[in-house]
Amino acid sequence: MSVMYGRLVDLLVDRFEVDRAEISADTTFEDLDMDSLFLVELLLVIQSEFGVDVGDDAASPGDTITAVADLIERLASAEASA
Amino acid sequence: MTTPVSPSPDIAVTGVGLVTSAGIGVDATWKGVCEGRPTAARNPLLAGLPVDISCTVPGFSAREHVGRRSSLAHDRFTQLGITAAREAVADAGLDPRNWDGARVGVVVGCGLGGVATWETQHRRMLEKGPEAVSALLIPMLVPNMVAGHLAMDLHATGPNLVTATACASGATAIGTALQLLRDGSCDLVVAGGAEAGVSPLMVTGFAQMGALSRRLDEPSAASRPFDADRDGFVIGEGSGMLVLEREADAHARRARVRARIAGYGASADAYQMTAPDPAGVGVLQALRTALAGAGVMPDEVDHVNAHGTSTPLNDAAEAGALRKLLGEGAAVTSTKGVTGHTLGAAGAIEAVLTVLTVEHGRVPPTANLERQDAEIELDIVAGSPREQKVDVAVSNSFGFGGQNAVLVITAA
Repeated sequence: MSVMYGRLVDLLVDRFEVDRAEISADTTFEDLDMDSLFLVELLLVIQSEFGVDVGDDAASPGDTITAVADLIERLASAEASA
Repeated sequence: MTTPVSPSPDIAVTGVGLVTSAGIGVDATWKGVCEGRPTAARNPLLAGLPVDISCTVPGFSAREHVGRRSSLAHDRFTQLGITAAREAVADAGLDPRNWDGARVGVVVGCGLGGVATWETQHRRMLEKGPEAVSALLIPMLVPNMVAGHLAMDLHATGPNLVTATACASGATAIGTALQLLRDGSCDLVVAGGAEAGVSPLMVTGFAQMGALSRRLDEPSAASRPFDADRDGFVIGEGSGMLVLEREADAHARRARVRARIAGYGASADAYQMTAPDPAGVGVLQALRTALAGAGVMPDEVDHVNAHGTSTPLNDAAEAGALRKLLGEGAAVTSTKGVTGHTLGAAGAIEAVLTVLTVEHGRVPPTANLERQDAEIELDIVAGSPREQKVDVAVSNSFGFGGQNAVLVITAA
């Protein structure tokens, strides 16, 4: 698992009170009972905590945590190399 | 499609739920209220403010009581409302998975809404900029969300309302529910009130207008309705919820009927922003309407759960109106001596307590009533509960803006 995946899991645990045991690579946000509004909130927090500019429609509840971690990783790399 | 019903069917209370500073759940609150045990205490959240005492729900864990999702996405007033509503529905012996949600309404009184969320997020915006403001701000803040979330929680897709008549809101909600049941719009209504207004800005606002007790060195004695030394109310938080249905329907499903909501009266003082009309004209009008609707005469009233905030003006005006209409025959109490004043939830919490009074034949005492104001010529119950048969009871609620709501609750 990537470093960003670990940071995202920590964020879900610390800020969204998700049980760590509930999360695996295939877990979707829907599995964690996080609807679209929750996801907007999550993306705002990611933007604030990780300093990565993520659009508020960058992810949907059906996405896996792994997919969103990869997306953040790509955006962070792009911003760093820009 | 509505169900035809007779003009004024009896409306039964088949379930009740409470969350108050006296405890989480009906039993805990009823015990505390009957013991006359005041709950006002210093609140660290209010440290350094002109008034730093409140009646706060002890040991309420949002995650434990309403789950992770609600603990994160709902303001406390909604969390308290959901907790009380679930208790009321379970108490009524109902399972939302089995009911026809289209025939179930939700009506909740709320005076302020998610004010703590408002304050927290406003501070974040000022300190960290607009990017730091939560996407959940609006759904946490707006007062109607307590009813909206209850609809989702209970799968209740009938009429869904929040009433805002300040400190009468909870009673207005129950009165509105009565009308929805009587006109056939619903077969079942979850009705009540929810409020969590113990926030620094709100408490300061009430303090600035001179409404709050300044007995800060002796918090437990601060809320003292009808006492000669009263000097204002103590702000509280909580929720009260009732399950209401037509009595014939309740009997048909063999439900326990705890009491009846027999009458409702609403009026406006049209007098002043924050002070009651000293002549009590609006209060008398609401009382008369409620009694007439219930088909009872004033001398039949056994008990009044008074609005009784512990402010000098309210208690005097209310007592004058009660004396004028009912004489000295009714056993009067104000349970705010224990719970403080829970604003938009008060009318509902007190309606539940009045239901329990009728059901148990026990009038709780007015906490802290040591020396009754000589100008209050009523039979105020003090010291310990009074065991007496209560067939007809009245629950009074009055709000800033001069809005009055009176419920008549009778024995089943």
